Amino acid sequence: MKVITGIPVLDDVIEEIPEGKILTYWIDPEVEGNVFAMQTLFTNLERGCKCAYTTIAYSPEVAIGEFNEFGWDVENYENFSIVDLYSGYVGLPSNCQYNASPTDIEEVNEVMKKVIENFDVVVIPVSSVIDVCGEDSIECIGEWYDFAREKESRLICTFVSWPYPEEIEKFVKNNSNAVIRVGGVHHRVILGYYYGVVKVDWKNIKSKAILFKLVKPGGVRAYIPKILVTGPYNAGKSTFVHAVSMRAISVDRLGTTVALDHGHLEYKGFSIDLFGTPGQERFDPILKMLGREALGVILVVDSTKPETFPRAKQMLEAVAHFGLPYVVAANKQDLPDALPPEEIRKKMFLPEDVPIIPVSAKEGDGVYKVIDALLELLTGSWWVKENEPEVST
Amino acid sequence: MPELSNDLSNITHQLTFTLNVIYDVYVIIIMNMSQVLPDVQLKKGSNIMVYGPAFTGKSMFVRSIFREFIRKGYGGIYVLTRDSAETLMEWLDIDYSNKYVKIIDCVTKSMVGNVKDSDSIKYETVMDLTGISAKISKFFEDFWRSGVRDIVVIFDSLSTLLMYMNLQTVFRFLHILTGRVKVAGSVAFYIVEDGMHDERTIATLKQLFNGVIEFKEENGKKYIRFVSSFTQTEWREIVVEENRVVVVV
Repeated sequence: MKVITGIPVLDDVIEEIPEGKILTYWIDPEVEGNVFAMQTLFTNLERGCKCAYTTIAYSPEVAIGEFNEFGWDVENYENFSIVDLYSGYVGLPSNCQYNASPTDIEEVNEVMKKVIENFDVVVIPVSSVIDVCGEDSIECIGEWYDFAREKESRLICTFVSWPYPEEIEKFVKNNSNAVIRVGGVHHRVILGYYYGVVKVDWKNIKSKAILFKLVKPGGVRAYIPKILVTGPYNAGKSTFVHAVSMRAISVDRLGTTVALDHGHLEYKGFSIDLFGTPGQERFDPILKMLGREALGVILVVDSTKPETFPRAKQMLEAVAHFGLPYVVAANKQDLPDALPPEEIRKKMFLPEDVPIIPVSAKEGDGVYKVIDALLELLTGSWWVKENEPEVST
Repeated sequence: MPELSNDLSNITHQLTFTLNVIYDVYVIIIMNMSQVLPDVQLKKGSNIMVYGPAFTGKSMFVRSIFREFIRKGYGGIYVLTRDSAETLMEWLDIDYSNKYVKIIDCVTKSMVGNVKDSDSIKYETVMDLTGISAKISKFFEDFWRSGVRDIVVIFDSLSTLLMYMNLQTVFRFLHILTGRVKVAGSVAFYIVEDGMHDERTIATLKQLFNGVIEFKEENGKKYIRFVSSFTQTEWREIVVEENRVVVVV
């Protein structure tokens, strides 16, 4: 059965986790990164894989509670088991079929091997095992890696990058077939979170870094902070924002936007905020201000009014010097005299690689294709080149 | 009965935590504290160990300090490994909606199982250092985003962590936490029990701190002093009452 990560964007990049592979989430100590492993487990649990979750720093009940907080009812799946390495440590009896006391590393080793043999996907908190069992336990962990390869099971490991000795870090990195870094965007405090592919040995891929938010319930959501929706007066920006958003508000006077449209949508694992700007020239300062903070632009044009295209181009230029990627929504395609996208490209002198998507915001046709096109731009090479956050130590 | 001065909260109430720019470094000068800790200056970014035998008033002392910082407009993060958040809130006599107080309760979850986090109180288990670290970091971010830049952190106590985890593990955890406190320009106090750990443990931990507020008990009397590589104050006699620490005049 195909096993995937269940993490937005990541699955598009690495497609699947083949048999006998070890995937390690390499987590910044100040970031709540364990949820990545939980999300991978639950995704595959739902797909019918036999999954085991190892807990050592807290009880099985607390572990299940953490899953539940994200809306993942693991306890209702017959193909789910917990490996309890906690109860024995604190002197409590365990209710789990698979359990061992971490004070007896041989016993732990035996139980883990049994689990690896019997399950498709096994989550192991590698750094917590080292923390509790001591640095010598790395030898045992090495045996689990080898055993998983031999038995063609998949290990999903979490490694919290506390300042361990270099040889431990190397050992874990070298033994992992894939390393996904979960990090913080460091300022004087951590102000944002990202994940990125560091290594995948079964596929030739470019590195990627994606911002994320944790949503309860929901889990990891790729996060695009702000998307600017701009365009000339009466092009249909507000209609567009409302058509794609789960919730949206507009501040308008006499039917036209004088302040802002704001919309929010959850789409394909992304959490997106849309800001629609007023189209009138006297509001251009707002456009510049928003452009400074936005990460991408959707330019809405009225396909029936080529006379507004110069103004559209002007608005695009206002935000262009921020180096933002943009897509064009060729709106009002439901009207008989609407120009086709290629005609608009010619009239606006837009480069070939700028996506122009025919839409009818009023009817809701094509609006999500615009979002798709922008997401592709944002998570593609531009994102990596311009937004790779500084990797912290 | 010895003659008693004002209780600590009154003393600290007289204190002014003034911010002075000295060579571009912000320094918190604890003034008028001569009765307790004369001339103690804590630079922003300081990590202070609070060390002494059980029942000498360490917890009471840090709680008073915490309360005082909050009153001065600091954001406060309190990590509890021995008391519940409820107990602390009661002691502090602070409303749950107070946006300056954030608590990480590492007790309740192990006792009663799953408890739902709120904006100001998060629940973790004492062995989940990653969870604790991530929650502290989240609180830092929350304060930062709401415009609160001055932050005090209390860790009560490290000894509980050392009961469950080996020294190396706790050291690694503290390495990250003290680093964050330093970079964020905050002040943090960490309680360590005297008598629970060997000398090597204490010596190892001390490397991470800028100074130690020491407590001791001799002939039935309790004392306090501050020690750092630059300064050492005299021992001052104190009396610990039910909810206050009192300096003997």
